[in-house]
Amino acid sequence: MLKVRNISVRYDKTFVLQELDTEFKTGRLTALIGPNGCGKSTLLKAMMDFLPLETGEVLLNDHNIRKLSRKQMAREMAYLPQECQCPDYMTVGELVELAGYARYAFGSGPSKRDRELFADALATVGLADQASQQVNKLSGGQRQRAWIAMVLAQNTNLVLLDEPVNHLDMKYQYAVLDLVKKLCRERGKTVIVVLHDLNLAAAFADEVLMMNAGRIIAKGSTDTTITDHNVRSTFGLDADIFNHNGRLVCLPCEIAGETVLS
Amino acid sequence: MKPAIIHDKNRVSLKPERKTDFRLWIFFGLATVTLCAVFISNLSLGATSIPIHDVTGALFGPDTDNYNQIIVHYQRLPRTLIAIYVGAVMASGGVILQTLTRNPLASTSTLGTNAGASLFVVGGAFLFDFGVEAQGLAALAGAFFGFFCCLSVARMAGRSNDPRGLSLILSGVLVSMLFVAITNAFLLSNPMKRSEFLGWVTGNINHAYIDRLSDFWWIGLLSLLTLFLTARPLTLLLLGTEKAQSAGVNVKGITRIALAATLLGSGSAVAICGPVGFIGLIVPHMVRPFVGNNVLSLLAASVLVGAVVCLIADMGARLFFQPYILHTGLFMDLIGGVVFAFIVKRVYLARAAL
Repeated sequence: MLKVRNISVRYDKTFVLQELDTEFKTGRLTALIGPNGCGKSTLLKAMMDFLPLETGEVLLNDHNIRKLSRKQMAREMAYLPQECQCPDYMTVGELVELAGYARYAFGSGPSKRDRELFADALATVGLADQASQQVNKLSGGQRQRAWIAMVLAQNTNLVLLDEPVNHLDMKYQYAVLDLVKKLCRERGKTVIVVLHDLNLAAAFADEVLMMNAGRIIAKGSTDTTITDHNVRSTFGLDADIFNHNGRLVCLPCEIAGETVLS
Repeated sequence: MKPAIIHDKNRVSLKPERKTDFRLWIFFGLATVTLCAVFISNLSLGATSIPIHDVTGALFGPDTDNYNQIIVHYQRLPRTLIAIYVGAVMASGGVILQTLTRNPLASTSTLGTNAGASLFVVGGAFLFDFGVEAQGLAALAGAFFGFFCCLSVARMAGRSNDPRGLSLILSGVLVSMLFVAITNAFLLSNPMKRSEFLGWVTGNINHAYIDRLSDFWWIGLLSLLTLFLTARPLTLLLLGTEKAQSAGVNVKGITRIALAATLLGSGSAVAICGPVGFIGLIVPHMVRPFVGNNVLSLLAASVLVGAVVCLIADMGARLFFQPYILHTGLFMDLIGGVVFAFIVKRVYLARAAL
């Protein structure tokens, strides 16, 4: 269980997160939604203890993450940054194997069970045959799946993904999120994922957290939270939300009030 | 439509990784064989060629009446051991600095470390009459001083306080130039002592420095041991600070430990025979295509290949310009300069990151 208590984060003089208060339920897939620069990524980074907090605290199973070591945290939560760079020559197998670091004893390597986990992670994302391929020689979709395999191989209950489907074509956006949802359902993982596409969020997320200017605009189950009113106050955009065979679809109409780009 | 991602446990096989392992073993086998071959030929070749049985004789209980064996035992063996030490330590230093800074041009010679160490040694010897031990300490302190000067210049020049990229290398070169100039000023100031250090400052692998090796070898060994033990978190650092932290790496701690080990190791190498440049820069690039970017195999390969390169450079320095003997450091600079330009063109100008 991950709780965020009253956190504020500041870059220079501007507050990126303002007294944010929320919690993420175990076994649910939560999508973070909001315009560029609203603090979605910052929220993830604050929850990973990458940033100094002005106020508040982040509680992981009722422990302040400030008091946990990096290894302790890594056994509980995995994180995928927005932009990942893999060094040349590193293979998919090597990348996935690195994820086990927090479980290894000092100076030792992966155990048999770790190796099973790695193989399972690769099989889950469909890269079992590509283990000896260099990551930088894979296609964009495969590369993203390699990174997700690394997150899986860390074998944590909590998974934080920062825009995992950027730069992917429609099919892989769908495939990656479908995989993430399966992890939630079948393995009881708690997943927090930053998404830009409301339609993808509506299709896959259990819960949606909508943010603007460092504050939470709305939070709740997908069906009740994605409404034209909330989209308007989050993005400043009029949108038609309608139900198509039990799935919400969001169609932007026009920019509300004054235009953003002027 | 079915998603493209298939979950099929039956398809899991570990065979491809075995293939990579196999390639690694071949590389390490070949590197070890080459090292042995170069080691023996370094002992046997020179102004006079010495037959193999005298070389082996000198290695296993030297016969003090045999002139050849005396040459091997008191001249060529010390020289060879120093070359191995310097090659291994400098190359591993290059691996670590390139990993920590994620910059393909980083090495002890391009980040001010070597120049800092030589400045402190020469300064200490000229100003305070340092003996060998004090010179060793001065070299270690100088290595740290040079590196942190380079860092602070890069910080002043760069926009952020994360000085990766070209500004770091430029600061390193700048700091090195300054330090070399001061070192030269010291050398010019005292003609009596000049001759003693004139060879040393260009990186002179010489049997006369064997006392220094026997004083300082444990520093390099300790440094290598530390680096091998921290290889896995160092590999994770290649993925970026945040990714490494999220996987459980204490980035600050590991960086400090690895940096300290590297600076101490390279400082000790400079203390022995002066700044032999370029090994740390080029050896990691030589081995990466064969062993990949995994710091553990990269370190092991660099230690072996670094020793080989240094031995070959030493051999070249002794053989190519007979009857003159070139300083190994100078010879290394001759080769290294060319390879440096090649790396800049190939790796640096093509892609910014590793």
